[in-house]
Amino acid sequence: MMAMSLFKSVYATLIVGFLVAPLLVVLPLAFTSGAFLTYPIPSYSFRWFSELVENTVWSRAILNSLLIAGSTTVVATLLGTLAALGLRARNLVLSSQIRTLFLLPMVVPAVVLGVGMQALFVRFGINSTYLSVIVAHSVIAIPFVVISVSGALGGIDRRVERAAESLGARPHKVFFLVTLPLAMPGVASGAALAFATSLDEVVLTLFVAGPNQRTLARQMFSTLRENISPAIASAAFVIIVGTILVALLLLLMRRRSA
Amino acid sequence: MIKAAPMRALLLLGPLLVFLGLFFVWPLVTVIAQSVSDPSVSRVLNRTAAAIDGWDGTGVPSAEVQAAFRADVVANTDDMAMGDVTRRLNATKSGFRSLMGKTVSAVKEDPDIDLARIDDRWTDTAYWQAIQDNASPYTDAFLLAALDLERDKSGNIAAMPEGTSANATILLRTLWTAGVVTFCCLVIGLPYAMIAASVQGWKRSVLLGAVLLPLWTSLLVRTAAWMIILQDNGIINQALMGLGVISQPLALIYNRFGVVLAMTHVLLPFMVLPIYSVLLTVPGNLMNAAASLGAHPVRAFLRVLLPLSFRGVVSGTLLVFMAAIGYYITPALLGGASDQMLSSVIAFYATGSANWSMAAALGLILLVLTLILYAVYNRLSRDPVEAR
Amino acid sequence: MSGAFISFQDATKDYGSVRVVENLNLDIARGEFVSLLGPSGSGKTTLLMMLAGFESVSGGTITLDGKVINDLPTYKRDMGVVFQNYALFPHMTVARNVAFPLEMRGEAKAVTAAKVKKALDMVQLGQLADRLPGQLSGGQQQRVALARALVFEPRVVLMDEPLGALDKQLREQMQLDIRELHHRLGLTVIFVTHDQDEALTMSDRIAIFNHGKIQQCAAPREVYDHPANRFVAEFIGETNLLDCKVSENAGETFSVTLDDGSVVAAHGLPGLVAGDRALLSLRPERIEILPAETDATATGQNRLAGEILDTIYQGDHLRVVIETAVGQIIARTDRKAQEWPVRARVMLTFRAADGWVIAP
Repeated sequence: MMAMSLFKSVYATLIVGFLVAPLLVVLPLAFTSGAFLTYPIPSYSFRWFSELVENTVWSRAILNSLLIAGSTTVVATLLGTLAALGLRARNLVLSSQIRTLFLLPMVVPAVVLGVGMQALFVRFGINSTYLSVIVAHSVIAIPFVVISVSGALGGIDRRVERAAESLGARPHKVFFLVTLPLAMPGVASGAALAFATSLDEVVLTLFVAGPNQRTLARQMFSTLRENISPAIASAAFVIIVGTILVALLLLLMRRRSA
Repeated sequence: MIKAAPMRALLLLGPLLVFLGLFFVWPLVTVIAQSVSDPSVSRVLNRTAAAIDGWDGTGVPSAEVQAAFRADVVANTDDMAMGDVTRRLNATKSGFRSLMGKTVSAVKEDPDIDLARIDDRWTDTAYWQAIQDNASPYTDAFLLAALDLERDKSGNIAAMPEGTSANATILLRTLWTAGVVTFCCLVIGLPYAMIAASVQGWKRSVLLGAVLLPLWTSLLVRTAAWMIILQDNGIINQALMGLGVISQPLALIYNRFGVVLAMTHVLLPFMVLPIYSVLLTVPGNLMNAAASLGAHPVRAFLRVLLPLSFRGVVSGTLLVFMAAIGYYITPALLGGASDQMLSSVIAFYATGSANWSMAAALGLILLVLTLILYAVYNRLSRDPVEAR
Repeated sequence: MSGAFISFQDATKDYGSVRVVENLNLDIARGEFVSLLGPSGSGKTTLLMMLAGFESVSGGTITLDGKVINDLPTYKRDMGVVFQNYALFPHMTVARNVAFPLEMRGEAKAVTAAKVKKALDMVQLGQLADRLPGQLSGGQQQRVALARALVFEPRVVLMDEPLGALDKQLREQMQLDIRELHHRLGLTVIFVTHDQDEALTMSDRIAIFNHGKIQQCAAPREVYDHPANRFVAEFIGETNLLDCKVSENAGETFSVTLDDGSVVAAHGLPGLVAGDRALLSLRPERIEILPAETDATATGQNRLAGEILDTIYQGDHLRVVIETAVGQIIARTDRKAQEWPVRARVMLTFRAADGWVIAP
C-alpha cells in the first residue's frame, strides 16, 4: 500500500509537471533582453514588450484582436443567450436537434469551416473584412455561450420564477428581475469564453481575414512559422495574464452572486 | 401566456438559427457542393451541355447539338477557360487537344461551318461521348481523387497510378497520428483521472487545476511553448548536452515526435475530464466493499473500477480522436513536411494552389469522419444505460 | 354557487392523453382553510397549480369571487403562493424578497417599508431583513416565504406542501403558527399536503384526492369517522375492514351479517340496501377488549370472539392483534390497560356508532 501511494504521488507530480511546465517555461522568456527565445536569459528587460507596442505590426494586431474579440463577444453573447433562453421552452419541437446544431460549430474541423466560409464570403463580397472575421469568430464562440448560459438557466428553480409571477410580476419583470440576474454568472462566463475563443482563433482567420484584419493570434502564428522572435513570449505573456485576469474576474462575480 | 410560449421560444431561437444557417450551415453546404462540382466544361459549353443531354449516344448528335457547340465556341472569349475545357476533354479522350485547336479557329472564321469538314474526328461517336460525359456540372472525380481513386476510360472506379497522388497516404497518416495521440492521452490520462478522483482537498484541486489551466490557456501559447522547449537550442537539448548525454542536439521538433508530444499535451484534458467526472459518480466505498468481499486490490480495480470508468474512457477517447483528426495549428507549426495532416493539406489546396474542389473533397471526408465520431459520442453521452 | 368564493366546476387537466384532474367540482368559502390531501400523483398539486395559473385548464371553469379566471395570467390573480422549497429569490435580501410583491403593485416606498417591517415582525424575522436567503435556516426561509406571500394581502393563500422540507418538531410548530395566522387574518387558505396528520390538524375541511378525483371533501372529524369509501377509510388513519352483507338498512343504522354469520349493528352510508355486499370499517381505538367470559349482551354492544396473537408496546398505546372468525383485527388500547397473554381468549366489543358501513 505504501509503494502504491508513493507511485501515485510520483506519477501525479510528473503529469502535473508535464501539463504546467511548458507554460511556466514561456513566461520568463517574455522578459529576455536577448534576440532569441532560449535559456539562459542574458538579462531581464521589457524590450520585447516595447516591441509589441512600438512595432506597428504587433500593435496593429493587438488592436485588431481587441476589436474583433470584443465584437465577437457582443454578437455571440447576445445570440447565444437568446437561444439558450429559447431552448428552455417546454414542449419545444426538435429541441435536442436544435441544441445539437448549436453545438456543432465546436465539433466541425475549423479548416473545413474555413474553406466553406471563404468561398461563401467571397461570393457575398465580404471576405477580408472585419465583418467576415467577426462573423466567423462568432460562429465558433456561440457554442460556449449556449453551453454556459444553458447551464446557468438549468440551475434556476422554475418555482422561483413562478413565485415572482404569483407575486404580481409580469413576464418581462420576471425575466429582468429574476431570470436574468440568476443567469448572469452563466452569461458572464459565456462572454469570457467567447472572448478567449476569438482571441486564440487562427484557422478561420487564415481563411476569412485580409492583411488589414491580422489578429494577434494570426501574427503569432506567422511569426512562429517564420522566425521565433521573443516577441512571441511577450505576446503569450499578455494572453496568459489576460486570461487569468478574466478568470479571476469571473470567480469574483460568482463569489458575489453565490 | 401559456399559449404564447412556443411563439416566444421561436423569437428567441430565431436569430441564432438564421445566423448559423447563413454562416455555418451554408458554408458547409458550399463545401459539399464544391466537392462534387466541376463547372469548367458546362460553364463554357453551356448550350452544348443543355442540347447534348438528350442525345442517345449512338452515331453523331443532331445538327442542333452541333449548332449549339459552334455557338458556344463563338461566344467564348476566355481562352484560359477554353484551355481548361480542352484539357478536361483530352483527359477523357486523347486527341481533343489538336481537334479543339483546329475547330476553334475554323469556327471563329465561319460560324456556320460543318464540323465534319473541319476534321473527320467529329464523325466519331467517342469524341461526342467525351463531351457528353463532361457536360454535367457535377463530378465524383474530386471525391475519388481524395481517396487516390479515379475513373478509368470505361468509367469504372480504379486506383490511381502509384506515386501520382498522396491523399490516401495523408488520410492514413492523419488517422494514425490521431490514434497515437489518443493512445498516449489514454495511457497518461486514465491513471491520472483515477488518482484525481481518489484524493481529496487541496490535492484534488491541484490535480484538476493542472488539467484546467492548459485548457484555459491559448492553444497558440501552448504550441509556442513546446517549440521553445523542443527547438535545437531549447532547454531539453541544452540540458542533455550540458550533462554530456549527447553532443549534437536531438531533432525533437519538425518531426512526428514533436507533433505527438504537443498534441498529447493539448488534448490530455479532454481525456482526463470525462473519465474524472464518471469516476466521481462511483461511490467511494465501492473499492472497500470489493475488498471486504475478498477481492485483491488489483482484482478489485480490474473488476470494479475499470468497468465503471469505461463510459468516461469511451467519451474521452472519442473526444480526443475527433479533435485530433481535425488539428491544424500544432502539426503545422511543430511538424515537418512529412507530418502534415489532413487539415494542412486542405489548407494547402485552398490557399496555396487554389484548387477549391480538391480542398472541398478532402474537407468533406474530414467532415463526415468527424460527424460520425460526434454522433457516436453524442449517443453514448445521452444514453448512459445503453452505454454500460 | 352563490356563497362560494372559489369554485371549480368540472375542472379537468390533461397532459397529452393522461387525465390528471378529472371533472372536479369543489367550492371553497371565503376565510376557509381547505387541505388537499392525497398520495403523490393524485392531482392535488396540479389543481393548486391550475388555481395559481401555472397550469392551463383543459376543461371546465375556475371562478374566483364570481369571475371565471381560467385565462387570467398568474400575475393578475392576486394569490399568495408558498412553495415546498420556499422559492425565495436567492439574489435578493429577505427585505427585498418581501417587498417584491408590493413593488410589483407600485406601492409607495414608505408604505412598502412599513408593510415589510410589519410582515417580518409577524413571522419574527425583523432582525434578519438584510440577510440573503442562503444564509437562513430552512425554518427561517419558510417564514420569509410566508411573509412574502401574505404581505400584499392576497385574496387567497396557496400552499404547496410548504412544510415538507422541515423536520418534525419545526413542522408542528409551523402548523400551529399558520393556523393561528389563518384565524387572526381571516385568510382563505388552500393547502396541499400528503401528510394526513397535518391536514387533520390545520383544516376546516379536507379534500381527499385519488386518481384525479376528489374522493371526499368534509371536516376532519367527518372524513375520519364517516369515510365515503374504502380509499378514504384506508388512507386516513388505520382501520379494520371486514367483508359483510347488508341485512337491514333503517335510515342511519344498519344491521350487517359478517362472513361467519354473526350479525352486528353499525352506522353507514345511505344508499346501501339489504342484500348489498359491503365493508364494515372499524377503527382500532374504538374496539374494546374484554375477557372471553364477559357477558356483553346487556350493554347492547356488538361482540366478536377472538384470540390474542400479539401485543406490541408503542409508547403511548398498545397495539393488539386478535385472530377472529372473520380475520385478523387490530385494536388499540390504553397503555395502562391490561396486557393480554398470547393465545388468551377474548371478547371484542364496539358500539353501533363506531362501526361504519361502506360500499366495497
